[in-house]
Amino acid sequence: MARIPLSLRVNGEAHDLAVEPHRTLLDVLRAELGITGTKENCLEAECGVCTVLLDGMAVNACIVLALQCREREVTTIEGLAAGGALHPVQQAFIDLGAVQCGYCIPGMILAARAYLDGNPTPSEAEIREALAGNLCRCTGYQKIVDAVLSAAGAEVPARR
Amino acid sequence: MREAVELGARFGADGRFLAGGTDLLIQMRRGQLRARHLVSLHRVPGLGAVDIDDAVTLGALVTHRRLEREPGFRGALRALIESAEVVGGHQIRNVATVGGNIVNASPAADVVPVLIALDAEVTCVGPGGERTFPLEAFASAPGVTARRPGELLTRARFARLPPNSATAFLKAGRRRAMEIALVCVAARVTLDAGRERCVDARIVLGAVAPTTLRARAAELSLRGQPLTERARREAGRAAAAECSPISDVRASARYRALLVATLVERALARCAERIGQTA
Amino acid sequence: MTATRVVGRSLPRMDAPGKVTGSAVYAADFALPGMLYGKVLRSREPHARLVRIDASRAVRLPGVRAALTAADVADVRYGGSVKDEEVFARDRVRFAGQPLAAVAATSLEAATAALAAIDVVLEPLPPVLEVAAALAPGAPLVHEGWAGYAALPILHRDGNVCNRARIVVGDVERGFEEADRIFEQRFTTPSVHQGYTEPRAAVAQWDSAGQVTVWSNTQLPFEIQNTLAEILQVPLSRVRVVVPGIGGGFGGKLRVGVEHFAALLARKTGRAVKVMTTSEEELTAAYARQPAIVELKTGVTSDGRLTAREGRLWFDTGAFAGSGPGVASVATLMLAGPYRIPNLLLEGYAVYTHKTNFGSFRAPSGPQANFAVESQMDIIADALGLDPLALRLKNIVREGEEGPTGQVLTAVGLDECLRKAADAIGWKERRPAPGRGKGIACGWWTTTGGSSGVYLKINPDGSVALNTGAAEIGTAALTGAAQVLAEDLGVDLTDVNVVSADTLSTPFDFGAQGSRTAFAVGNACRAAVADLKRQVFALAAGHLGVDESALELRGGAVVAPAAGRRATLAELARLSQASGGGLIAHGTFVAPPTAYDAKRVEGHVYPAFHSPSFHAHAVDLSVDAETGEVTIHRYVVAQDVGFAMNPTYIQGQIEGGVAQGLGQALSEEIVYDGGRVVNANLTDYKMPTAVDVPRIESILVQHPSLVGPFGAKGVGEPPNIEPPAAVANAVASATGVRITSLPITAEKIALALRERPR
Repeated sequence: MARIPLSLRVNGEAHDLAVEPHRTLLDVLRAELGITGTKENCLEAECGVCTVLLDGMAVNACIVLALQCREREVTTIEGLAAGGALHPVQQAFIDLGAVQCGYCIPGMILAARAYLDGNPTPSEAEIREALAGNLCRCTGYQKIVDAVLSAAGAEVPARR
Repeated sequence: MREAVELGARFGADGRFLAGGTDLLIQMRRGQLRARHLVSLHRVPGLGAVDIDDAVTLGALVTHRRLEREPGFRGALRALIESAEVVGGHQIRNVATVGGNIVNASPAADVVPVLIALDAEVTCVGPGGERTFPLEAFASAPGVTARRPGELLTRARFARLPPNSATAFLKAGRRRAMEIALVCVAARVTLDAGRERCVDARIVLGAVAPTTLRARAAELSLRGQPLTERARREAGRAAAAECSPISDVRASARYRALLVATLVERALARCAERIGQTA
Repeated sequence: MTATRVVGRSLPRMDAPGKVTGSAVYAADFALPGMLYGKVLRSREPHARLVRIDASRAVRLPGVRAALTAADVADVRYGGSVKDEEVFARDRVRFAGQPLAAVAATSLEAATAALAAIDVVLEPLPPVLEVAAALAPGAPLVHEGWAGYAALPILHRDGNVCNRARIVVGDVERGFEEADRIFEQRFTTPSVHQGYTEPRAAVAQWDSAGQVTVWSNTQLPFEIQNTLAEILQVPLSRVRVVVPGIGGGFGGKLRVGVEHFAALLARKTGRAVKVMTTSEEELTAAYARQPAIVELKTGVTSDGRLTAREGRLWFDTGAFAGSGPGVASVATLMLAGPYRIPNLLLEGYAVYTHKTNFGSFRAPSGPQANFAVESQMDIIADALGLDPLALRLKNIVREGEEGPTGQVLTAVGLDECLRKAADAIGWKERRPAPGRGKGIACGWWTTTGGSSGVYLKINPDGSVALNTGAAEIGTAALTGAAQVLAEDLGVDLTDVNVVSADTLSTPFDFGAQGSRTAFAVGNACRAAVADLKRQVFALAAGHLGVDESALELRGGAVVAPAAGRRATLAELARLSQASGGGLIAHGTFVAPPTAYDAKRVEGHVYPAFHSPSFHAHAVDLSVDAETGEVTIHRYVVAQDVGFAMNPTYIQGQIEGGVAQGLGQALSEEIVYDGGRVVNANLTDYKMPTAVDVPRIESILVQHPSLVGPFGAKGVGEPPNIEPPAAVANAVASATGVRITSLPITAEKIALALRERPR
């Protein structure tokens, strides 16, 4: 298939590419740009490891066509830490023990960050609901939820 | 929009309109659907509005996220929020559209039963002009609608509800999120001025027939009745008898019928509560 | 125990920063320039004669660089317990999903097109799809040549049975005569998938010296090295396996998955080749948990003393033996439960069928056996009018008593676990409301043996390099081992850097399996630090002019408190590098064998549990009387971890293990129809989301192991064992309905409620 020119803005940087129309954003990020922080798994929008922010909104990059991202801002996990300092959500994930194998974590952090941007004082139930599209098999979600509560400045249920 | 319609006409059955892509792209990847041309709608103006005046108009590109946050739907139209908010996760709802949900015509669709319960009509635009259909008659089989190849679905519209009305939506699944419904139920009830007897009802079922199904016998059973526990249970039983669920990897037909009876009863109870609450 | 400085504290794991910033590289991310993409053609028939396979059309397609079939690989059978496995089906297909061919192309699309261009002629044969069918007289043999296969001598093999493991203690018939009541129940469990979020992936590249490097997300790099050497027919030293990073394993990434395809295709093409599995391949052709049938007959006196148990567990092990024989062995220990039963006849069967060769999934055999044992305990309690907790406390093994194969049990924390879990859930009020009930389940598990070696090196800046053959699969086991190291060496965790999982440059490790990694690598570190300390003290003594006996390790330095002298490890390392070759040490560890009575076992691959752990789960839930839907209010785990190396990450294992166990208990199953998986996607294979999993309360009980580092026991697998039984018991308590098959779906409960006589 013929390649179409695309200027893709990722983490504030413009990339001049030429992509086939059927290529997904996930594919382009990982294979063309070599930015592998965004993960691949089911490729069917069921697991959420491919979550990126598109104009600040959490989406599954595996079902977004790269060409649909013209003139839009893509944020991946690599774009979260500003000038070397971790974003509070990233730091909370470290501090609260929310990271195990880590494969779901980039998507999880981005989904959490996007949610907190719109709702800075969420309840635990709201956080769980916000992360329902991100499967984690290692943690049982508990410390992930605690990390998001902590990043939001809320009280984390008693830790032993 | 004109350009989109022209492209649609040009590509015909070889083309599909792409909105959120949450059904289309997955079906293409699985090989269930082939399209040589995709016409992306994401920058077509005029299709993403929610207009609430005498009627409620939902542009085809209104996302589920937009629906679930619409303040105007927190009252009698509550079921619109309840159905939108249980579709996939945030990532899906951020991009998945009402129009896409209608055109995809899955018998298990969540928002469609609510729109049917609201007597919604949908409009398709082709080179020859507009055609409007009652949503109830729009789908004829799983994935098959009255939309002609190349036609663009532009909006769904329904009249405001009369006073003393309420809606409710319930969904059953094997887990509590990211589910395709085992059964879903949308109910709409309008009571008389004294809020005693039912003047009108809609009971719409998902995932228990080849298309979203109106349980007309169940609806009729409520006409002129107070919404007592007995009446609600009767309606539930009637609805269960009207549907034709299948057994598949998700659930058995018997369990689906059981769920229909229970969820109809509970959805009606919720409607009754809500009408009572607005007193 | 004296207070510890580093080990025992909830310190942040060492690899967290890379993981939260996206810079950590997993095998699925790994890529090399000019790399080709490999894909595998798999059979759609569960049982067939492979009449003809021809890839000549495929190779001619644009972008396709190689297509391999059985004709292109050595006729080698490999496998752990029985050498019955092959890379591609040669003349017989034995499961739907079995590899028939593999292709390499310049893009995934070209590779996919190539698969479609491979001509295959299969002649379907009647498949054997259930254990009962496989065991029936005259059943077709899944492996007609089974008797000629090389296999572990200890196995009892016969036709479609690739092992029968057995424990015999006392005389069950007499034990049943002694009993006042006898209970017989049958339980069934389906296959479930580990559900790791990172697909299996490997990149292989050969060099000009005929050596291949394979980057893979395997949990067992040294085992893969072995298997590849067999398949590729090269010496072990020509194969290097490296693990860049693993996105979850849970036992599903133990054995060869895609590494051999990558290596074979890379050899053929002379290019690097990457192969990754799809979700569909994971759910149809991976190492999921064996489906099981359990029949349990238990005799008990009227006051609740267990007198005898006869139990059989049949595992559907699929088309190849794989882990089956071992799992069938462990099952017999789990069928005894952590109970004192003087008369036992317990058998575990691994049976061939025409399905994928199921493998090891977190506590293999545990959930299946425990579901049966612990469900039956409640059935017994109910019938005898006894409290289920009291029945358990009456029969659980105690300190110094025997396990089923005669091993002496020490550090038995089970009583404390049961009491604490029961207390936390509010056991006194077992049925707080209509439709609401509490359930309890307990069990035991092993800390798998096998050896581990480590190298240590002190760097000129005072940091310490820990070089281990173990892979970090996500449990933070290597952080735990590093904490042990830091504790012993007098440094901080942040002073330690870990290099891991490279068969060329790291020492042998038995692998990240069986809850052994922190335990074994931690102990190897202790041995290595002892060695390192000797060297450091010898050097420091000379350097500081004091006697070695006056020296201590403290704060990254060697101090002579009396003399008031001090040398940092950094200084000593620089000194040694300049004049002595550096401060380098090694340490090894292998768990001492656990003594057991060999006369009690037959066909047994796993006759005793090492440093066993004990655990109790308690759950409080409600059941919707109409829909059968279960809502969990509280879930408590009390687990005897020996010594909590890092409480936060141990809680993480418990929280994650329970979540995974609840999936098996309530919603997950791989569904077969005619030998084919019908729900091979994540839409219909229902893993729990954040909305589905309740908060889990973890109580860490510590009865120190005599062997583990600082008394630690293995912690990773156990939390996966008890959830199905705990849920089944709570549902029975809440509704009176006893579900004996997994998953305990709302549908099963609702229909059972309606079937009850009123």
